[in-house]
Amino acid sequence: MTIKPSFRSLLRRSAAAGSIALAAVLVGPASAHKDPVSPEQLKIYQEAFMEEVRKGDLLFHGDQATADAMGVGTSLSKTGMACAMCHPMASDTHPQSFPKFQAQMAKFATLRDMINWCIEKPNQGEKIDPESEAMKALEAYITWSNTGSVLQPGKF
Amino acid sequence: MSDELDRIRREMHSVLQPEGVRPDDSLKITRRTFIHGSLVFGAATVGQAFAWWPLLNTLDIAHAAEAPFKFAWISDTHLYPRSLNTRFVDKVVRAAQEVQAMDPPADFLIFGGDLAQLGKIEELELGVDLLKEIKIPKHYIPGEHDWYLDMGKKWGELFGQPNWTFDHKGVRFIGLDTVSRGPDYWTAKNMTPEERMGHMATLDGTVAGPWAGVGRDQLDWMEKTLADWDKTRPVVIFSHNPLYEYYPPWNFWVRDWREVHEVLKPFAKVTNIHGHVHQVLYNEIGTLRSIGMLATSWPWPYAPEGLPKLTKPMIRVDPGDPYDGVGWEKIDVAATDEVDVEYIMWGRKEVFVQSPEDHDKNVSEIIRPRIADNMWPY
Ligand SMILES: [Fe+2]
Ligand SMILES: [Fe+2]
Repeated sequence: MTIKPSFRSLLRRSAAAGSIALAAVLVGPASAHKDPVSPEQLKIYQEAFMEEVRKGDLLFHGDQATADAMGVGTSLSKTGMACAMCHPMASDTHPQSFPKFQAQMAKFATLRDMINWCIEKPNQGEKIDPESEAMKALEAYITWSNTGSVLQPGKF
Repeated sequence: MSDELDRIRREMHSVLQPEGVRPDDSLKITRRTFIHGSLVFGAATVGQAFAWWPLLNTLDIAHAAEAPFKFAWISDTHLYPRSLNTRFVDKVVRAAQEVQAMDPPADFLIFGGDLAQLGKIEELELGVDLLKEIKIPKHYIPGEHDWYLDMGKKWGELFGQPNWTFDHKGVRFIGLDTVSRGPDYWTAKNMTPEERMGHMATLDGTVAGPWAGVGRDQLDWMEKTLADWDKTRPVVIFSHNPLYEYYPPWNFWVRDWREVHEVLKPFAKVTNIHGHVHQVLYNEIGTLRSIGMLATSWPWPYAPEGLPKLTKPMIRVDPGDPYDGVGWEKIDVAATDEVDVEYIMWGRKEVFVQSPEDHDKNVSEIIRPRIADNMWPY
């Protein structure tokens, strides 16, 4: 109910922005027949996320059973090193500073690039597919653990 | 973290990290808290933290000795079986060769705990084997990684009593066991020894809880051990964990640190040298000076909070170099009333931060405890 007036005032304020906002409004009605998000749905979405966090936490802490189940049992580490041995609570992973120029790689890198670098160098393992479930789970855990950190993209 | 731990931590922080003011002298703990004269009070920025420290690799901690001598410290080698991890083995070999090559030689070596990674017989015996390169007397204290597979059985067979004392050239040395008195987190959950060890071996695990402590019996022993010692003579205490509260979630403390300081309070010159933190660390509490040692295996990052203001942070390391951020220490006890700790950090000329960008906390972070070890399978 309160959304419509604010959209209208936005349109009135700026013609240029108005055309973009109008496009958004036009797309909106296509899904207008859907119901508002329900608490049950929110719970499902949150649980789907936390399941990734849980799996990522276990991978990050060297849980062999989880690594095997996700097809990365022989690649994440070959030396007994686990991510959490240098990054307890995912500290010093700095997901909020990516993407950035990463000195060790001497290139512009994403968090996934950095995860794979750590797998290859300190862990002496083998790179994993950046689109793999294991990578997404690691990313989920690292970013979840840094909840509250302020975005500082590019920061050394 | 439990409310109790949180409360204790806040209490310690209020003493060690005052915001812009000197601690109130009426506080009991405050009277024991001597703050370095050159410390700038106020917000602890990275810039302030390094600005007032001399750019030297040596910490100067004035205590007296009858005659000059040196000793060496190695800790936190975290050995896996040789077949799994050769880097950790190589670094122990290097440290041992360097200690043995000291000229003039060190009077003795202290091994500060975490010889093994998972407490296995094979790992502990590998450690003994590698340290045979060092011919001077060796004294060992245990780390949590050495202990919780068989509850110290193998460690005891190899090294004897975990706490001990000896006098050397006018200094009383005490080795403490800060690891064996962890609360039982395994029986109720029917853990195997390997599972018990696995939780203990995870620094940021939530299952093993606040395991680091000295214990009433050992405090009494320490009090008795010091009863006949001149209160103006130097005392050096070795422990795996720091004897104050830095960051309880990682057991960067002993839970009964206040009782420890009650026992040590009458002594004017006490130095605590500890492992476990795998990082350069310095603090002063009352008359006690506390110095954290490097690991040979890998460096831990500084904790997200609680880093003592008196610590000049170590340099942010290159994770691609297994020899960066790690090493061993020479401790010089001079006739001119000084104890100098020299960090031998391999691959670095500068041990300490030279600019805020050199600090691992240059990227500010807010992090939170893990959850999976409490959700599943336990
Ligand atoms: Fe350690
Ligand atoms: Fe330890």
